[in-house]
Amino acid sequence: MTVVPQGNGGGVPAAAGGGGSGNLYDVLELVLDRGLVIDAFVRVSLVGIELVKIDARVVVASVDTYLRFAEAANRLDLESGKKAPAQLTDIVEGSVESGAHGKSKGALSGAVEAITDSFKGGGDEDKEEDEDKDEDAERRPAREKRRERGERRSERRSTRDREE
Amino acid sequence: MSVYVYAITKDAHPLDLSDTEGVGDPPGELRVVRAGSLCAVVSECPDDLSMARRDLEAHHQVQERLWTEGPALPLSFGFVAADDDAVRGVLEERAQLFGQRLDELAGRAEFNVKGVLDEDTVVRAVLEENAQARELNRRTLEGGGAYDERLALGQLVAQEVQGRQDALAEEVLAGLRPLAQAEKVAPPSQQYFVSASFLVTDDRSEEFGRAGQELAERYGEGVELRIRGPLPPYSFV
Repeated sequence: MTVVPQGNGGGVPAAAGGGGSGNLYDVLELVLDRGLVIDAFVRVSLVGIELVKIDARVVVASVDTYLRFAEAANRLDLESGKKAPAQLTDIVEGSVESGAHGKSKGALSGAVEAITDSFKGGGDEDKEEDEDKDEDAERRPAREKRRERGERRSERRSTRDREE
Repeated sequence: MSVYVYAITKDAHPLDLSDTEGVGDPPGELRVVRAGSLCAVVSECPDDLSMARRDLEAHHQVQERLWTEGPALPLSFGFVAADDDAVRGVLEERAQLFGQRLDELAGRAEFNVKGVLDEDTVVRAVLEENAQARELNRRTLEGGGAYDERLALGQLVAQEVQGRQDALAEEVLAGLRPLAQAEKVAPPSQQYFVSASFLVTDDRSEEFGRAGQELAERYGEGVELRIRGPLPPYSFV
């Protein structure tokens, strides 16, 4: 269980200037999607906003989804299976559990990095095309990563474990 | 020269903007445009305003700073007016509306709650608690079993996962709702089993934070509840 309390609960916002990037991810959709909209003003073109917005898909009832869940169930069973030595099982379970926090952050932070990168690089290259060529998973936009979640899960986990 | 608009306040707001910088690089200098009893906090709009972290963070920090000191209506990111006169025009034209909303939001803050369910943990729980899922899983291990069995397993697990997510979301909302004046619940997503904002009066702010913490502690590993607040009332303007 992880709680990320913010501020000090005393009715005072988190210390001014303390807005590290970690704080920004959680409020990103508030800053972009909520807030006052004044139609008399012009809104600057928000290139890439769809990358940052929360993936609004519910767990859809589809064959793909079912197969993905079946695979997840199979894989879990193997990971914690009796065949593995006890110590190994512990390590795997530990990393799965402690991974929850990093994992949940992954998608959004990935998106911000991607956007930041794309703007910093001054890139006006065609992103769609670029995605297909770019094989470096860590730099790909979150949208792309999410789409591949099913197939790439285990691979991504091992990447993450190396980082931790 | 176009101006980037951050927030609207009453002229009684202290509007202390020292140590706070606007969007752009170098950061834009914050200033106040006044009309009647209302003020707008603005800065010169940079040519390269973008959704890069630099500008998003600056936007949010201005809102936080203003909100700490008094009621403010935070604009959504990215709104630009042609010039100061255009800003004044909007303030005058909608003075009553803005003034009323500022009064309503005085002494209130937003809390945002997001819940993340670790998929492995919930799938494991389904397998532990559902004998049918266990049996189907056993039969389909290591590529075994028929396609239909694989599909049936996936469907069963998906249903169970969804059910658990929904129940958990309802529990979280029901636990926090009584402490809030208003709520805005985002539609369900793959990312969060619950994502909701609550409008909370200052005198219940501490209680709300505590309730969220207790709620979070009730669940085991694999459920992460992220509570952010007090925040400027982005969701209630």
